[in-house]
Amino acid sequence: MWMTERMVTLKEVLLGNMAIALGAVHAGVKVVCGYPGTPSTEVLESVVHYNRDGRINVEWSTNEKAALEIAAGVSYCGARSMVTMKQVGLNVASDPLMSLGVIGTKGGMVVVVADDPGPISSQTEQDTRHFGKYANIPVLDPSSPEEAYEMAKYAFNLSEMLHLPVILRPTTKVCHSSGTVETAGSIYEYQPEGFIKDPKWVIFPPLSYKRHLEIEKQQQEISDLFDHVPFNRIEGNGKCGIAAGGVTYAIVKDIIDAFRLEVTLLKAGAVFPPPNGLYEEFLKRVDKVLVLEELDPVIEEQLYHVQAAKDIRRPVYGKLNGFVFPAGEIKFDNALKAIEDFLGMKLESDSAIPPMELPMRAPVLCAGCPHRASFYAVKKAMQGKNAVFCGDIGCYTLGNGKPLEMTDTCLCMGAGITIAQGIKKAQPDTYAFAFIGDSTFFASGMTGLANAVYNQTDINVIILDNSTTAMTGHQPHPGTGKTMMGTTSQKIDIYSVARALNVGFVERLNPFDLKKSVETVKNAAEYKGISVIIFEAPCIALIRPQAVYTTRNCTGCRKCIREIGCPAMSVANGTVEINDALCYGCGLCMNVCPTNSICQEGRL
Amino acid sequence: MNIIISGVGGQGTILASKILAAGAVLDGKNARTGETIGMSQRGGCVVSHVRTGNVHSAYIPAGKADLLLSFELCEGARNLPLLKKGGQAIINMATVMPVSATLGKTAYDAAKMKEYIVQNSHAYFVDADNIARECGSIKAANIVLIGAAFGLGALDISRENLIQAIRDNVKAKFFDLNVKAFDAGVKAAKELK
Repeated sequence: MWMTERMVTLKEVLLGNMAIALGAVHAGVKVVCGYPGTPSTEVLESVVHYNRDGRINVEWSTNEKAALEIAAGVSYCGARSMVTMKQVGLNVASDPLMSLGVIGTKGGMVVVVADDPGPISSQTEQDTRHFGKYANIPVLDPSSPEEAYEMAKYAFNLSEMLHLPVILRPTTKVCHSSGTVETAGSIYEYQPEGFIKDPKWVIFPPLSYKRHLEIEKQQQEISDLFDHVPFNRIEGNGKCGIAAGGVTYAIVKDIIDAFRLEVTLLKAGAVFPPPNGLYEEFLKRVDKVLVLEELDPVIEEQLYHVQAAKDIRRPVYGKLNGFVFPAGEIKFDNALKAIEDFLGMKLESDSAIPPMELPMRAPVLCAGCPHRASFYAVKKAMQGKNAVFCGDIGCYTLGNGKPLEMTDTCLCMGAGITIAQGIKKAQPDTYAFAFIGDSTFFASGMTGLANAVYNQTDINVIILDNSTTAMTGHQPHPGTGKTMMGTTSQKIDIYSVARALNVGFVERLNPFDLKKSVETVKNAAEYKGISVIIFEAPCIALIRPQAVYTTRNCTGCRKCIREIGCPAMSVANGTVEINDALCYGCGLCMNVCPTNSICQEGRL
Repeated sequence: MNIIISGVGGQGTILASKILAAGAVLDGKNARTGETIGMSQRGGCVVSHVRTGNVHSAYIPAGKADLLLSFELCEGARNLPLLKKGGQAIINMATVMPVSATLGKTAYDAAKMKEYIVQNSHAYFVDADNIARECGSIKAANIVLIGAAFGLGALDISRENLIQAIRDNVKAKFFDLNVKAFDAGVKAAKELK
């Protein structure tokens, strides 16, 4: 192996996710795969941005489990690989991850899992640091885009040194913030050794036992190593100690600087296995400790553990004793409040501008979104019927909002199809509908559909095929045939998949044909057996506006607004107005208007 | 310096924050930005934080922003508490009615919002949408507002570096249009002064 200077040092503003991508590129990553998910998506997309010469193989995989297994195969050959996902994606990929923690790796393998405190764009506020402990895999937790870049590079070396995958776990405030990053200009060059056949790659119970002994021993060695990495350190002096993990370090550091606080600050960035030696030193230097970390009290529990093991007694103020709020983001304001309470002093007087009461602005389906038409057609068709509408993960989760109110359940990727089966089993006289998007169908809908066919559970599946993975920013998927290497593969046709799975009733149509759509849904609902309707119309982000609609002689009945809730429509002086900058010309409102007062501009 | 950029998903807040940060770096400063990316882009509230100088966190604490640039009136009012007392607020007069207000649940009272902004800040209102439309595209409203901020002396970044940052961050074919929008914003600011 050798190093080659290939790039000059650069100083540029990089988004955290771009910094991670660039770190991986500079570390000589050969294969990057993942599944889109906020806030992780831009990591893989940025690798494509830096991959102009095509030396890195990049793909959006069908789901996170597939992606992680591909990355493992790459690593088995001695090449460096990276896999990207959001935190709930790791739940899907946890099966290979747990086993990989036992089998181990060869080429450096980095698992980027972005956590989402808040949560801002996620189902759960789960903490990926637990997965490190669960699977005996090291976890790095960056505090800034600059550190994320350094950690990404370091993670590949660490993985190769330990023969274990390494989890790089940024949180939203690192992924989606940018910093001025200085990137050292070399790309790590090496020749992968290739796959060497060896029984060590085949997981069997006796091997797992043997590996378990080795791995537990290794945990202590990594812990000792983490006492001395630059990501973990003690700063400042003072008898009051503050421990901060991940991005919270940056906030605490700003507070310490702003108020010139004399405190001892423990920065924990390589958090599993815990740097116990450093923790011990920190605890001995202070009289009491405040722990500020987002999500679960991981560092806090680690500090308790060191206290018990080393017979140190320092009062710990954190989430476990209710001193720090247990959920949501840590921001400057609430961190300041916790520090004020901890130090017993008021640092800042409240003099902010008081807020004003304002209308809420929740995210909504875009003007012209085909999902609105699909939901509306199903709603019309099932009016007065006993129907439950199981939703899924994607833009169409927004179908739960007023006035559509067409999402009765939403749990996790692919669950709509299977929860509908449970509801049908428990309540056979209910029409059980499942809505799922095209990308989600490929990620985890097909197995659920096969299950319904096999077990003869009479559900009605509506596939909302907008030819993209819209919610996360329009990534391609198997149904589009476009790849991240710029090539085109044969599109996998959802209609044919449903047919191949022996679904008896399969129809595909454009949801903006309202009359035909309502009729087809009625037929599907009454069909004895599983039905699949594929509503095909592209996401508006993929097309130009089709037309602009306007109102004429509007009576102001507001039926359009009450029924479809299009963001391009508003009421002014008693009549409905259509915002020409937002209207995409879908024409759904024209089909809803009872007085024929909506027409294409310039047509009447 | 701390700048808040607020608006509704799709209005181009992220590009504006990129340009301000890149301009600051060209000026020799360090810069950080914090963005809203994801679900909120679908017509929800979006806020970008831009901080220049040596700070560790990208996110501006409440009451600490020196400047608020808002692409929409209601979102300007919503984010005003992030501004320091007496801070500058440069607000696009355009309004985007949230669906909840259209459905009649909460009123969108533009006059009241404007009054609140005027009372609590050093406020300037710019007809950025129409100025941008005259320059060739409503999408350049974000650059009009940056031009207005520059024209009002609210930015500590040179014109040369802001224009370079625009060049580095927009497609080449839109560069001239955006420079036109920037200058139109500067001109609008001079008329406000």
